[in-house]
Amino acid sequence: MIISLLKRALMMSTPLLFGSIAEVIAERSGMMVTAIEGIFLMGAWGGFVGTYLTGSAFIGILAAILSGLVAAAVYGVVCIYLKQHQVVTGTAINVLAAGICTYLQRVLFGVPTAPLKISPLPEIAIPVLSKIPVMGPVFFQQNILTYVVYLLIPASYFLLFKTSFGLTIRSTGENPEAVDVAGINVNAVRFFTVLLAGVMGGIAGAFYSVGYLGMFTTNIIGGRGWIAFAICFLGNWNPKGAVLGTVVFGLTEAIAIYMQSVGGGSYFPNELFIALPYLLTIILTVSRRNFNVPAKLGVAYSKEN
Amino acid sequence: MNTPFFELKNVSKYFARVVANKDISFSVNRGEVLALLGENGAGKSTVMKILYGLYKADEGQILMDGKEQKITSPKDAMALGISMIQQHFSLVSAHTVTENIILGNVNGVIDYEKCKKEVEELSSQYGFQIPVDAKVEELAVGVQQKVEILKALYLKTSLLIMDEPTAVLTPQEAETLMEFVKEYTSRGNSVIFITHKMKEVMEVADRIIVMRNGRITGDLSAKETNEVELTRLMMGKEMVPPKREQAEEQKEKKVCLELSSVTVQRKGEPPLLSDLSFQIMEGEVFGVAGVSGNGQEELCEVVCGALPVTSGKVLLNGTDITSTSIRERIDQGIGYVPVDRYRDAMVGEMTLAENMMLKTSFDKKWISHGFLNKKKLQNDTQKAIDEFDIKAPGPDAQIKGLSGGNQQKVILAREVGNAGKVLIMDQPTRGLDLGAINNIHNNILAERKNGKGILLVSTELSEIFQLCDRIAVIYKGSFMGIYDHDQLNTERIGLLMAGYKEEKEA
Repeated sequence: MIISLLKRALMMSTPLLFGSIAEVIAERSGMMVTAIEGIFLMGAWGGFVGTYLTGSAFIGILAAILSGLVAAAVYGVVCIYLKQHQVVTGTAINVLAAGICTYLQRVLFGVPTAPLKISPLPEIAIPVLSKIPVMGPVFFQQNILTYVVYLLIPASYFLLFKTSFGLTIRSTGENPEAVDVAGINVNAVRFFTVLLAGVMGGIAGAFYSVGYLGMFTTNIIGGRGWIAFAICFLGNWNPKGAVLGTVVFGLTEAIAIYMQSVGGGSYFPNELFIALPYLLTIILTVSRRNFNVPAKLGVAYSKEN
Repeated sequence: MNTPFFELKNVSKYFARVVANKDISFSVNRGEVLALLGENGAGKSTVMKILYGLYKADEGQILMDGKEQKITSPKDAMALGISMIQQHFSLVSAHTVTENIILGNVNGVIDYEKCKKEVEELSSQYGFQIPVDAKVEELAVGVQQKVEILKALYLKTSLLIMDEPTAVLTPQEAETLMEFVKEYTSRGNSVIFITHKMKEVMEVADRIIVMRNGRITGDLSAKETNEVELTRLMMGKEMVPPKREQAEEQKEKKVCLELSSVTVQRKGEPPLLSDLSFQIMEGEVFGVAGVSGNGQEELCEVVCGALPVTSGKVLLNGTDITSTSIRERIDQGIGYVPVDRYRDAMVGEMTLAENMMLKTSFDKKWISHGFLNKKKLQNDTQKAIDEFDIKAPGPDAQIKGLSGGNQQKVILAREVGNAGKVLIMDQPTRGLDLGAINNIHNNILAERKNGKGILLVSTELSEIFQLCDRIAVIYKGSFMGIYDHDQLNTERIGLLMAGYKEEKEA
C-alpha cells in the first residue's frame, strides 16, 4: 500500500516539477509567469485533442507543447514588448484560456453524452531497475514524462548555475541593465525563458489529460498551475528547492486521492485532504523567510530609464 | 597629422521632437584623456551612448583609425575595444565579482576556477585589490567602480568611457581613480570622461569638449583654458556664485534647533545614528558632509519626525519635540526638502498648486466655507513661481512635466513656506544644473539672512564650503567632529569622510 502511495505521489509530482522548474527559470530572468495556469490548461486541451484526433500520444504531446507555446507567446509579447503588467496580463490569459478551451472543445466535439476517452500513457518498467524492491516500482514503473523529469532536474540546475546562458538569465532577473550593457538583448533572453515555460507548462498540462486521466474537462487543472507557481517561491528560485516543494505537494495530493478511494472520509472530511496542498501553500509562503527573490522580478525593462 | 583613434563626424540624434545632439564632431587620440563637460541635459551622455551603441545616431559617422564603423549595439562597440562605465553602475549586486566580470564574455559551460584566476591576474596588473569571490553588494562604492573598470579591462578595452565617475567617490577614492586613468592612458589607451565638475577636468584632461543644448560649444586644450572660460562656454553666460556674508559676530544668537545624544538603532543591528549632539543657531547654515548613506537621511528624518529616536532628545527653540508627530512639527515651523524628491516630496501626476499644499492640506488657510479655496491656492502658487523663478506653464501644470531643477524649486518654495523656524535640506542640488544650483544656493542664503536655522546635508564639498557656517562630518552614523568653516580643507574633510579619525581630537 505504501508503495502504491509513493508511486502515486511521484506521478502527481511530475507535472508540478515541469511547471515549477519552468517557473524558476523564467522568474530568474525576471518574468513572473502568472499565465502558468492558463498554459497548463492549454497544454491539457491541446494534448487531448492531438491524441484523440490522431490516436498518437506523441503527436498529442507535440500539440500540447504548441498550445502552451501559443499562450506563453501571447503573455511574452504583451509583458515584454508591450510592457504591460505581468500579474494583470497573466490573469487575463488564464481566464481567456479557460474560455477558449471550453469553446473549442464544444466546437470540435459538441456536448457528448459520455466523456470522450483516450488511453492514458502506459507505464514503462525500466528493465533491471524496476526490479529493485520498493525503489523499483516507485521510481522505475512510471510513464515516459516522469523519466523526462528525472533528466530535467539536473539539466535545469546545470543550465542555471554552470553555464554562461544561466548566468545571463540570473543576471537578467537581478539587473537587466548590466546585461544590456554587456551587449546581450534583455528582452530576447526573457522571451526565451517565457517560451521555455510555455513548452514545459504545455507538457505539464498534457500530463493531466494524456498522461493520467485519458480525458479532458475544463477544470482538469484546477489550480495546479498556481501550485507550481507557489512551489517556485517555496523552492527559493532553485530547481533543487522546487524538487523538495513538489515532493511535499505530490505527497499530500496522493494522500487525498488515496483517502478518497479507501473511504478515509469516515475519520476525516475528504475535503480536508483536497484542501491540504492549498492550505500548505499559504502556510509555507507566509512562514518562509529570507526569500532570494530576483531583484527585478515582474519589472519590465526599458532602455530609456 | 596623425589619424585620430576615434572620430565622430556630424553626429545628430533626435528624441521625438527634441534635439539631443546636433552636429557633434570631435576626435580622441591614442593615449589621450578627453573630458566632456556640460550641464545636465547638454547631451553628453547621449553622444557617448551613441558611441557605445546603446543609442542609434540619426545622422553622422563614427570613424576608427580613419575607417568608418557601424556601431549598432554595445557588442559592436566592444568588438572595437570601446567600453563604457555608466553613472549608475550596471553591476549585479547579488552576484560575485567574477560572475559580474565574465557576464556576456564567456560561452557555454563556465570554468569558474579559470575565470577567477584570470580576473585576479588582471586586477593585480593595475594594483587593484579586489576579492573576486565577494558579492558586489558587500563592497564599498569605490571598489564597485573598480569592478566596473575590471569589466572593461577584461574585454581588452582601449577606449574607456566613464560617465560622472567621481560623483559617488570620496576625494581620496577619486584620487586613486585619477592615478589609474594616468597609468591606463600611458599604455596607449584612451579615456573619455563625462563630467560637470570643473576641478577634475583641469586636473586630468588633456583636451576638453564643452557641450551645451546638444551642441559643441568648445574644443580646447586643457593647458590653454581656464575655469572662467569653461563656465561661460557651458552656461552661455557668465555666472557669479553667491557669496556667504560673514555672520555678525557680536550679536547674541539664539539656539534654534538642538539635538542631544540622539541615537537610532534597530534591534540586533549597528546603530543608524549614534550619539549625535549639535545646536543650530538662528541665521546659521549647519552643514553635514559625508559620503551618502552614512546616516544623513536618517538624521533629517529624525528632525522632521519621520523616524523615532531610540534615545536622546530633539529640541526646537528649547521645547522638547522628541515625541511629537510630523504634522505637529510642520505646524511648528520645520520644513524638509528630502533627498529623493520623486519618492518623498512630490506627486508627479498632480499639479504645481496641488503639490504646493501637499504637506499642509489640513491647514485652515486653504479652506473657505468648507471647500478648497482654489483662488488662494492659485495665487500663492503663482507667487512662488515668480519669486523662485520657476519655469512652468502655470499653477495648473502637472509637476512631472517640469525639469528636475524646476521641480526642486517648487519643493523648496513650499518648504521655505513651511519652515518658520528650521529648514532641513538633504542634498538639495543633487543632479541639478549650474543655473538651478545657483538659484537654490541664493535662496538658502536668503533664508539664512531671514534668521532661520538651516540643516544642509550635502555630498558636494564645494557646496558645503560655499554655504555653511559650521560643518559636521558624518561617518557611519556618528559625527567625526564639528568644525568652523575655516578649520577644514578638502583633504582634511576627505579623510574624515572616509572615517579616519584625527589624532588630536577635541
